[in-house]
Amino acid sequence: MQLAWSPEDEAFRAELVAFLDEHVPPEAAGGFDYADAADRSGGELLPDWARAWQATLFDHGWMIPGYPPELGGRNCTPVQTLIYLEEMASRRVLRSFHFPGYAIVAPSLLEFGTEAQREIVPAAIRGDTVWCIGMSEPNAGSDLAGLQTRAEVHDDRFVINGQKVWTSYATIAQKCFCYVRTDPTAPKHRGISTVIVDMDTPGIEIRPLRHLSGVGGFAEVFFTDVEVPRENLVGELNGGWRITQGSLAHERAGLWVDGVARLETTIEGLVDLARRRGVDRDATVRRRMAELYERAASLRALGYKGFASFAQGSSAPEHSFMKMATSELSKECFEAGMQLQGAYGAVVDPDRGEEQGRWALGFLTSFAGTIAGGSAEIQRNIIAQRVLGLPRGT
Amino acid sequence: MDFSLTGHQQLVQETARQLFTRECPTTLLRGHIEDPAASDPLWRHLREFTPLGDGPLTDLCLFLEEAGHVAAPGPFFATTALFAPLLAATGDERLAATLAGDTTGTVAIAGTDGIWLPNNDPVKTFVPEADRVDWVAIVADGPVLGVVDSPTIRQVHTVDTTRRFFEVDVEPDVAFRAIDADAVEAIVQRATVALAAEMVGTARRLFELTLQYAKERVQFDVPIGSFQAIQHKLADMALDLERATSAVQYAAMTVDAKDADRTRAVHVAKAAAGAAAKRAAKDGIQIHGGIGYTWEHDLHLFIRRAYASEYWLGSSEWHRDRLADLLF
Repeated sequence: MQLAWSPEDEAFRAELVAFLDEHVPPEAAGGFDYADAADRSGGELLPDWARAWQATLFDHGWMIPGYPPELGGRNCTPVQTLIYLEEMASRRVLRSFHFPGYAIVAPSLLEFGTEAQREIVPAAIRGDTVWCIGMSEPNAGSDLAGLQTRAEVHDDRFVINGQKVWTSYATIAQKCFCYVRTDPTAPKHRGISTVIVDMDTPGIEIRPLRHLSGVGGFAEVFFTDVEVPRENLVGELNGGWRITQGSLAHERAGLWVDGVARLETTIEGLVDLARRRGVDRDATVRRRMAELYERAASLRALGYKGFASFAQGSSAPEHSFMKMATSELSKECFEAGMQLQGAYGAVVDPDRGEEQGRWALGFLTSFAGTIAGGSAEIQRNIIAQRVLGLPRGT
Repeated sequence: MDFSLTGHQQLVQETARQLFTRECPTTLLRGHIEDPAASDPLWRHLREFTPLGDGPLTDLCLFLEEAGHVAAPGPFFATTALFAPLLAATGDERLAATLAGDTTGTVAIAGTDGIWLPNNDPVKTFVPEADRVDWVAIVADGPVLGVVDSPTIRQVHTVDTTRRFFEVDVEPDVAFRAIDADAVEAIVQRATVALAAEMVGTARRLFELTLQYAKERVQFDVPIGSFQAIQHKLADMALDLERATSAVQYAAMTVDAKDADRTRAVHVAKAAAGAAAKRAAKDGIQIHGGIGYTWEHDLHLFIRRAYASEYWLGSSEWHRDRLADLLF
């Protein structure tokens, strides 16, 4: 156990810092604060500067540093990847405004895709192709394996009918990584396949949905006799459930540094807010802020500990805890920000109250964290059953 | 930041795990309730590990986590986490014999308010194992240090039957000498992290007992561990345990490196260990139900240890308040 990384790894950090100092666009610097990415883009889901920034990262081998250069990386070690995530998070620099392509589709295609499918991976990572993930349905949320969007299997094509919902980026995506039922007679986990659907295929209708915070971002996607070539099948027919497990693992493994850094920034903001509100000598306020800090700090330590076991080849159960814990703590932090404003806690009026609703809106937005990508309750089930070895309920 | 254990650290952990499992069964803890001499055979095995008291805190913490796992009684904690570091920092000649395992000692700092800061109170309290060690090192305002061999003491009974606390009278004839104020602060920080490591071990024991019980206990024809209400409690216990374990290791690393973040890290570690231990104790007894409420079941031995440790060397709330002083 030691605090410092090796000189080679610190040299890696120095190279990254030099790159960032030179290339980070002003819009990306000082990036995330209290609001999510969409709030900072002037209502635009994917501004031009964000597209250009992701491509710049890719071209310099800084998009996914652990990948080889042709995939936007530089073949760096796991420790260096962590240093990269640390540095990006502490500088609050976002690498991309749309995570499905680089974080879920790319690793899934690299593992399960055909040679032709692997050829479209670079564009997914560079952000040239925007992807959405067709997972959730009106009747398949936590029970994802219960999805009902049907794909008839023909010799040369699939014909898809059904509906997806909560589909982030669907309004701007060129492609959808879509989970469909190809065998309705098989047990539900064994009748799912994964197909790549071009979003301009006839029969696809997209109805944008607004988040509860008011901003746009996700959508309902309807499929009516949508024809998809057979070669767009990813992995084996009826083998899609394995791919869902893989894609969610990619999402969870790398996000804790960013999640913890956001928490730390938010808590610094709370301390500052308490000072400005003149309640920084209040014993209850002070103890509450310290408790939030303690929880964030211990989660950072847990993330590093999990990384150490991951780097040594263990399955790293620590990662199962990080999403659940950071998202729940985030909700508490934003609510604390509302409480610190007393009667003005729920005010979003820009003419009244200097916070302009950022804590209240952040609070509303923060619910995404405990619902999307596996709710906090599902995370607890997973911890109980897969990490602690408890039996499944009936 | 690298949390992976070196080969040496793995050896420390594995050695401790085997030794404590073998030499400190709960029958010893029960014998210790009637007669503290029941812990003497354990001490004879632990004597050779007293050099940990003058080594890296990370090593000592790995060892003490296993001590906490069995709620080990006796003078080991007082000697290695308090007495030896104090001797080392103040150049006391008793250090060699202490590290050789030939001499035991404890440290008295807190006055009757229970706060571990040098003070002029003529009575020091929450001094562990003061009746059964060779030396009691008294730190008073100045700071000054006086080491005495047979002060007037009175036991302070807590819920814990595995660690015994005492009040120590500071007699007028104690020969005090001046010591470095920073050294006292460093020793208390070190002991605080060491205690947090022990608490994490105790919390892990409570968690393991409870997890095992949830898998075995059948009600409504199924193991109670298949119920979501039980699963979610255990997941939350596991989270608090994992984050506390990590926070303690981080704090030990910062203390060893004299890192600028160490003061915050120490407060975080003790508060997180307290949160984990209290949750493991409360949810542990709840999940055990009626059997956990009995004297015969071993659970209460660890619940008692967890709660007494929570209030020693600063409660979770006390450490959060100090943390707040650093945040604001």
